[in-house]
Amino acid sequence: MSLSVETYPTLREASQAIGDRARYIGGGTLLMRAVNYGDQSFDRIVISREIDRTIRNEGQGVRIGAGATMADVLASRDAGFLHPVARVIGGPAVRNMGTVGGNLFAAAPFGDFATALLALDATVQMADGQNQPMESFLSGRDRARGLVVAVTVPRVSEREFRFAKISRVKPKGASMMAIALWLRGSGRIDEARIAFGTMGPTPLRAKAAEQALRGRDLTEPGIAAALAVCCDGLQPADDPLATAWYRRAVAPVHLKRLLLETR
Amino acid sequence: MTTVEFRKDLFADERDDTLHEIGKPTIRQDILGHVTGRTPYFDDHLFDGLLHMRAVRSPHHHARIRNIDTSRAAVMPGVRRVVTARDVPVNLNTLLSLINFGRDDEPLCAHDKVRFLGETVAWIIADTERQARDAVAQVRVDYDPLPHVLDVEEALKPGAPLVNEVYPNNTFDYHGKYDHQKLRFGDVNAAFARADHIVEAEYQMSPIEQAPIETCGAIAAPEQNGRYVCHTNTQALFFSLGTTAKLLDMASSRLHFIGGTSGGGFGGKVDSIVEPTAVLGAVLTGRPVRFTWDRYEEMQVGAPRGGERWRIKDGVMADGSIIAREFTGFFDSGAYMRLSPYAIIKAAGHLPGPYSIPNIAANVFCVVTNRTPATAMRGFGITAADFAIECHMDRVSEVTGVDPIALRLKNAYRDGDMKAHRRVAKNTALIECCQVAAGKAGWPLSADLAAMTSLGGGQGDRALIPETATDEEGRIGERRAGRAPDTAPSKRPTGRVAAGQAGQAVVAVPVQNEDMQIEVDRIGHAIAASHGAPVASPAPTYARQAIAPQRTGADIVPPRPAAPPQAAPVAASRAAPPAYAPPSQQAAPSAYAPPPAAPTPPASPQAAPPAEKPYQPDRPFSRGVRKPGTSPFLSGTRRR
Repeated sequence: MSLSVETYPTLREASQAIGDRARYIGGGTLLMRAVNYGDQSFDRIVISREIDRTIRNEGQGVRIGAGATMADVLASRDAGFLHPVARVIGGPAVRNMGTVGGNLFAAAPFGDFATALLALDATVQMADGQNQPMESFLSGRDRARGLVVAVTVPRVSEREFRFAKISRVKPKGASMMAIALWLRGSGRIDEARIAFGTMGPTPLRAKAAEQALRGRDLTEPGIAAALAVCCDGLQPADDPLATAWYRRAVAPVHLKRLLLETR
Repeated sequence: MTTVEFRKDLFADERDDTLHEIGKPTIRQDILGHVTGRTPYFDDHLFDGLLHMRAVRSPHHHARIRNIDTSRAAVMPGVRRVVTARDVPVNLNTLLSLINFGRDDEPLCAHDKVRFLGETVAWIIADTERQARDAVAQVRVDYDPLPHVLDVEEALKPGAPLVNEVYPNNTFDYHGKYDHQKLRFGDVNAAFARADHIVEAEYQMSPIEQAPIETCGAIAAPEQNGRYVCHTNTQALFFSLGTTAKLLDMASSRLHFIGGTSGGGFGGKVDSIVEPTAVLGAVLTGRPVRFTWDRYEEMQVGAPRGGERWRIKDGVMADGSIIAREFTGFFDSGAYMRLSPYAIIKAAGHLPGPYSIPNIAANVFCVVTNRTPATAMRGFGITAADFAIECHMDRVSEVTGVDPIALRLKNAYRDGDMKAHRRVAKNTALIECCQVAAGKAGWPLSADLAAMTSLGGGQGDRALIPETATDEEGRIGERRAGRAPDTAPSKRPTGRVAAGQAGQAVVAVPVQNEDMQIEVDRIGHAIAASHGAPVASPAPTYARQAIAPQRTGADIVPPRPAAPPQAAPVAASRAAPPAYAPPSQQAAPSAYAPPPAAPTPPASPQAAPPAEKPYQPDRPFSRGVRKPGTSPFLSGTRRR
């Protein structure tokens, strides 16, 4: 079974060429590893000459082209609130190649950027013109067909958005867990979105904890109820970085630190 | 440069300061090539027509192999050869067989069953690595999964799954007698009875992967005259060569190994698996073959430092002096022995750490489980035991309230002290290390602690072997039969060895060279002929006795002419041990040593050479050139 590489002039054509045994290659930080290890699940690699690496303001949000690399995000002033996320992904070589579009498909323990996008309620724009909210996109991503061309992220202030990547090897280790928070309200929390990475097959929201935070303030008694239920709906698994038991045990600890972090 | 401080005031009279390298900056011999990218590694030898070899690996911890179907893989594009266990001439080995230690227990390729996840079941040789990987994915192996055991103490239970039939009790057999290595020194149970505190704890260390940047690999290619060249990153070139010669049933003169450069090893490149595999590929295809582990294989299949579990029980007096220490240790050897049995002997010799404790007992088990086999890694056998010991010292400090550094100083060994394995400690410097460390850390030490020295130990009882309680628990097979439920050293000793006596001496292979003879005055005891029996002449000269090896078994090569007796003593102050002289075969097997009063060497072939016949070995040398008339130095065509 030999591997073939097909190049198409536009994203739309590349999107149509993707089938069962084909993979689209962006930066290749995940795909080339599969190629090197002789992954038997695909034998065609699809490339598009048209690559969207632009990052620009669009209405209330920031539109990030799926081909934008983590280094592109770090170089963009408009995406400044996402810099803490892009900065902790991989090492410099991975950040120069790894794309935002690819990160949406990265299986645990990768996909920290997707975790942040889930908390920020980003919208995923497909090559066929469809738009999907991040949450439904992630839940259906294993069955997804077609190509992502861009994501649109609501612009938030640095005060409202918090992100923590917990890894055991610093600075380049894969996440044992990633937590992204979008907290709206002054003093009291009017609305909260909490997303956990590497706590399930895809980034997942901790909806019970979001409910429990509503109307509370960021004090130890205020967040106690949210911490108690923060693992509800998450599906952590054992992997070489940590056991599911350990992840459940430390999730409230890390969430508490992130919530009480002084800004 | 880091700043190194030399405390030359310490032990000044034990040193002549004529060091040329230590303490001076020096350039690593290979660093220039490394930083300029010119160092050739094994993988830089790109032969024309290089083939790639990949292993089919077991997805089960423990399973019987019913059938291996390679028919689809064999017809895949680019596939040159499917290799299975049938193609390995001698498919059973143990690493230390080269020094006659242990039984052959490990196949290069599994055939009847797999014993750990990732074990080799077959290989594919193809034109490209991708083709080899694709073909590996098409090999169909019919497994019958068996119950597996991954925990050392579970593996010792009577009903535990039998992992390796070569070791039917899931343990290495020590000295043909026990399922564990014993260490007995004094009487721990009597000491525990009078101790003020008993401190007990368990310590568990995980396996640790050496994680070199360059994974294990080798490239082998045929040369002329039936010779094979092998470029490898092994850490043990001649070990790998000898192992390859044995597994492939090939004279070692037909193997031309080139190594010396590895991208990190740390002990993980001594197992000699990739070399025989690559050479086997070259033999079977007649082409250059590359066999290299990828990162996943390095992590999953490459042997780590084994996991260890240690239980320590200390008997401590209120003032912090430790009067007894008992160990129960479990080494997780994984599915095969490799170097683990040796690590346990090393650990037993190291116990109880750098402390003078008058009563020691240890049972250390080398356990077979369905995990990846363990191997060498930087100080293996010592590191985990030391971790446990030093954690335990802190625990003792907490229980007794004695300052942790004071506790170590109080119990530290000194020059001249008798160690539990019956060797006199020398060049000990723990006291000075603790004092300097305390000084650097600003840790207060009382005046008498600061004035302590590691010199001048060995006074009174500290230099003597105490009367030692012994037991016969844990004989081979007892545990599996349910007759030895306890793994800890015995609570009911059944024998006593008089003070100053070792137990039964285990005689190893005779030394090959007289300068390898152990210095008798470093062995602080007489070697009793049998268990607990007094020596023939219990004179103060016992330390001058020579150790003559005991010869048993029929397959030992008859003694060759011994080295000529030493002409002059090495040093006037130290009586040189007599040169090794094999005793006659008629001598009673229990005669370890001739009495010192009779220095005449026993009759040996040297005394009466068998007349005119020149020396002839009784069986041919197995690893030399076999073909008569072939020059052992023939190296085939020069490599380009």
